Amino acid sequence: MDTEMADTSALSSHYGQVQVHFTTNSPDIELPEGKRQLLVPTNVRRYGLSQILNSESMLDTPAPIPFDFLINGTFLRTTLEEYLTANGLSSETTLSLQYVRSLIPPLFEASFEHDDWVSCVDVLSSSSLAGTWGANVNVPVVLGQERILSGSYDGLLRLWNKSGQAIATSSSSSAGGHTASIKSAKFISPTQIASSSLDRTIRIWKYSEADDHFSGELKPVLELYGHLGGIDSIDVHGPSNRILSASTDGSIGLWTTAKNSAPAADEALISGPNAKRRKLTTSTNTPQRGPLSLISSHTAPVSAAIFNPLDSTVAYSASQDHTVRTMAPAEFGTFEVRELARKMKETAWLERLKETTGRGRRNQSVRDGTCRVWDLRSSRTGTKDEGNGVVGEAVYVIERESQKGKKRPVGGEGIKVYGVAWDKEVGIVSASEDKMVQINRGRGVTRPNDP
Amino acid sequence: MAPTAVDRKRKAVTRDVPESSDVESEAEFGDGLLEGILSQSEDSEDESDENEESDQEDEEDLDELEALDSDEILSEDGEDEAELNGGLVKSNGTKRPQTDLVPGQAQAEDDEEDKPNYRVEVDANGGERYVYEEIDPVYDSDDSDAPVTTNTIGNIPLTFYDSYPHIGYDINGKKIMRPAKGEALDALLDSIDIPKGWTGLTDPATGKPLNLSQDELEILRRIQTNEMPEEGYDPYPATVEYFTGIEEVMPLSAAPEPKRRFLPSKHEAKRVMKLVRAIREGRILPYKPPEGREEEEEEIHYDIWADEQPRPDHVMNIPAPKAPPPGYDLSYNPPPEYLPSKSEKQAWEDIDPEDREREYLPTTYDALRKVPAYDKFVKERFERSLDLYLAPRVRKNRLNIDPASLLPKLPKPEELKPFPTVCSTLFRGHEGRVRSLAIDPSGNCLASGGDDGTVRVWELLTGKQLWSAKIGDDEAVNVVRWRPGRDAVILSAAAGEDIYLIVPSVPDVNPKMEAASKELLDTGFGYATNATQALTANGQKKEPVAKWTRPSSRLQDEGVLIKITVRTTVKVISWHRRGDFFSTVSPTAQRSAVAIHTLSKHLTQIPFRRLPGIPQTVQFHPSRPLFFVATQRTIRSYDLQKQELVKIIQPGARWISSFDIHPGGDNLIVGSYDRRLLWHDLDLSTRPYKTMRFHSKAIRAVKYHKGGFPLFADASDDGSLQIFHGKVVSDMMENATIVPVKVLKGHKVKSALGVMDIDWHPREPWCVSAGADGTCRLWM
Repeated sequence: MDTEMADTSALSSHYGQVQVHFTTNSPDIELPEGKRQLLVPTNVRRYGLSQILNSESMLDTPAPIPFDFLINGTFLRTTLEEYLTANGLSSETTLSLQYVRSLIPPLFEASFEHDDWVSCVDVLSSSSLAGTWGANVNVPVVLGQERILSGSYDGLLRLWNKSGQAIATSSSSSAGGHTASIKSAKFISPTQIASSSLDRTIRIWKYSEADDHFSGELKPVLELYGHLGGIDSIDVHGPSNRILSASTDGSIGLWTTAKNSAPAADEALISGPNAKRRKLTTSTNTPQRGPLSLISSHTAPVSAAIFNPLDSTVAYSASQDHTVRTMAPAEFGTFEVRELARKMKETAWLERLKETTGRGRRNQSVRDGTCRVWDLRSSRTGTKDEGNGVVGEAVYVIERESQKGKKRPVGGEGIKVYGVAWDKEVGIVSASEDKMVQINRGRGVTRPNDP
Repeated sequence: MAPTAVDRKRKAVTRDVPESSDVESEAEFGDGLLEGILSQSEDSEDESDENEESDQEDEEDLDELEALDSDEILSEDGEDEAELNGGLVKSNGTKRPQTDLVPGQAQAEDDEEDKPNYRVEVDANGGERYVYEEIDPVYDSDDSDAPVTTNTIGNIPLTFYDSYPHIGYDINGKKIMRPAKGEALDALLDSIDIPKGWTGLTDPATGKPLNLSQDELEILRRIQTNEMPEEGYDPYPATVEYFTGIEEVMPLSAAPEPKRRFLPSKHEAKRVMKLVRAIREGRILPYKPPEGREEEEEEIHYDIWADEQPRPDHVMNIPAPKAPPPGYDLSYNPPPEYLPSKSEKQAWEDIDPEDREREYLPTTYDALRKVPAYDKFVKERFERSLDLYLAPRVRKNRLNIDPASLLPKLPKPEELKPFPTVCSTLFRGHEGRVRSLAIDPSGNCLASGGDDGTVRVWELLTGKQLWSAKIGDDEAVNVVRWRPGRDAVILSAAAGEDIYLIVPSVPDVNPKMEAASKELLDTGFGYATNATQALTANGQKKEPVAKWTRPSSRLQDEGVLIKITVRTTVKVISWHRRGDFFSTVSPTAQRSAVAIHTLSKHLTQIPFRRLPGIPQTVQFHPSRPLFFVATQRTIRSYDLQKQELVKIIQPGARWISSFDIHPGGDNLIVGSYDRRLLWHDLDLSTRPYKTMRFHSKAIRAVKYHKGGFPLFADASDDGSLQIFHGKVVSDMMENATIVPVKVLKGHKVKSALGVMDIDWHPREPWCVSAGADGTCRLWM
């Protein structure tokens, strides 16, 4: 404390001081009551504040913990003085600084090679949504038995364990598999998987695993017909057995995984004029069903549709017509369609809309061959050009391992990232055009006590 | 000027007279009288002069003109005076004494002096002898009208004699005693009647009381009341018209009018011409009002002391004024108030050295020995040398116009967003050049065709190849085009002489639409078989211009359903907006170069028997039944219904490569192999509205955005695309604004070929380009 104060006084000969009040949401790193108020020089940045907190007189941590500081819900990225002047505050005010553990850049862990471009990934773990749904129905995921699902442009689904061994591969198109590239795949429960493809279908698979957990089987159980174009994105809700799909024909579909409650499929869609080819493909007799509801609310291809993870009665969809719409799939007949972002920046139409509201962080895959970690708290107010909203800035950029050290190719050629999943146990899993699934894991990210 | 001055004088007189009657005031008064007299005498003299000189009028006028000529401009007053003086000299020989008081007296004197007081006789020697009259030595014969006694003290004030009983001396040296005065005299005077004309003033010359006559008093009164002092003066006398147009009954002269009165005077003309010449040569200038003071200030002042040499002191030498001595701020240790503050110092340093008010900055040093050497010494010497060395001998007139101001005002490209800026997807797979590409009407797929004879369909956003078919065995696919309309998915491609109509079996195609497409393609077969074939003159069956057949079963499996074979290589396919007609161009064919195919009837027609040149490309008008055919140099528009030529557009390009019609239908862009991009307004002229030459190589393709964005693009052999903002307004009065917004570079140039084709996304501001390097690129 003494040295700290001495430093402080030495610095304060040139700079002013400001009263700060340290708060945190993590009880294990909470400061004692008397030490929370402190006078700090205004020229310190995050690093200086972190040093002050880690000093003996404050937290007295055995190993220094890097901290980030939140003022008013946004990260402090400047000196305190610059923050004060930018917000028009006087140095007399008491700043309330919330400190959280810093994010450490995620490190590369593993890559799983595929035969073709990988379009999507999903993770099954005890903390993933499907895992929690499974736990509710007494099919819990054992720790260490996490599974990674990947869908590829060769039309096959693959299941991997964390060490990179392929446990199961879906059947080919002749045996009831997808006839075209898979665009999206999701775990519904530890034993059920949904996948959507460019062949206009959604397929439900039953996944069973051998006892040694090193081999498994994917069996098609249901084919869902209804969309007139390729299905770019699906989202699932396990407890209600609902699937939400987004198609390039501009429509959004709501489906059920239950064979009995699903309506019959449109015959014209199943056996089209090129029946010859179709016959070849459907040698196995998988039941075929239609959608519960199908609505064409967008005028352009829909790129993504998701359920609200906290409230499955609300869904969102993003489209190339520059709109994001909210709807209530529960009463699918009467869509409550609201235009959220009419004036969204033209080129920045949402490619993947992922919301992890619990953590308040987004993970987005982008076309330039990188995976970026975003934080909703790290944002700035958008300029008029950007539509006056809040524009986020990536916290970390994860490059493709296959492209390490090379110059980024024009147009993200060969390294476009098509899918990403983030799991507490596994890390950040991304699928890309380089035929790899890449796992990156951050150290501080999945700490249990991390807010 | 003159009258006012007189007025002022008269006023002064009226004020002075009652106050004091000293010598000066009298002199003034006399002046006033004299003026009146002179004016009268002048009048009479003038009259007499005119009488005498009436015959010599001409000459006099000429004299006046001469006077003018010699630049001597006289005011009227001056002229009068001059004439007056002359008159006086003429009449008298001597000047009239200025102290004359009464006109009558003066007249008398004149008379006396007129008569000489001598006789001229001849003496004994025969010489002239002046014999003066005898003087009669009477009492006052020598000076009859002189005052009896005159004080001879001269021009000294009388006050000098105040302490004496006399006031001066007469001519004989006798004292002139002061007249009696004082209380005793007053008492006496009071008892005596005041004599007539008594004024109570003393005549300084005599010391006696000054008496004024009644006439004199009257004159004084008149002067005081600002009247003419002369009695009975008429300021406006009736003119006596001696010489007028009125013919007198009894003329003064009976002489007939001389001839010269009626002739223009030669002398006068000569003088006028002299004046005219002077005016022409600029010796006489028109009168200019004196210029104001401001201009005087702007006069150039010469520094006469610029190179002053020390000279001995002399009256004619004005030395230069001394420079002010150095002030405190020049001191090596100036008082602190003279030292500049930090901000002043900064301001001084910020100013350009040429604009600084003073060349130095006051600086302080503790002691004189601490003052450093002059720091700019070397620099100044160097610049001086440089000036001498580089001294320009000729002054150059530089055009001082900001070149930026001459450019037309164009909006900034940032304001014209959105437009494609970056390459976001590459489509790799073709071996050899990609010759043509097209985005399907729904905007999900991209079709391309290249030198390897394949037609490929790609997923637009990811760049994944969805479908491929090899239609040209050893021939390149020259062109691929989608059929417009969302009701069917039909791709047309041309390889060699064959045109293929394809329903590509991409996985995500809607089966209903696929079925509809196939039906659309197949319906024509019935027509084709039923149609009666035209016969030639010989009665034989005429060779049809095109054959509609099924391709090989291999191709049919892949979705290639119809093959149309024409006579020569097809280079261009252009669809009608309804999707029932399409036109092909095979430039090498002589007469059947342009063919129009009807999809629903499997019918091929040759619309033109003769074409004035080799056709390059064709287009259907987006809304009217017009058909545009581009030959190498011109574009002709034909009315298809009336079958007539509507318009010939002459872009002025040497070899047109491609053109496109604005979706509004009134504008046209033309790209040419001679690197030009031309914008035509069809309503305005057959000549281009704007010519752009930004590429270094030939332009291969031009395309308008058809989905609502005011964009167009061109593709060139230099490997770049240029994106333009081209806004067409419905207002007829306003011209289209064309702004180049972006150059997209990325395609490699292979064997002098760069970008072969471009197309726009039907909704988004994205464009795709086909490169000779075997790739297609999506720009967004």
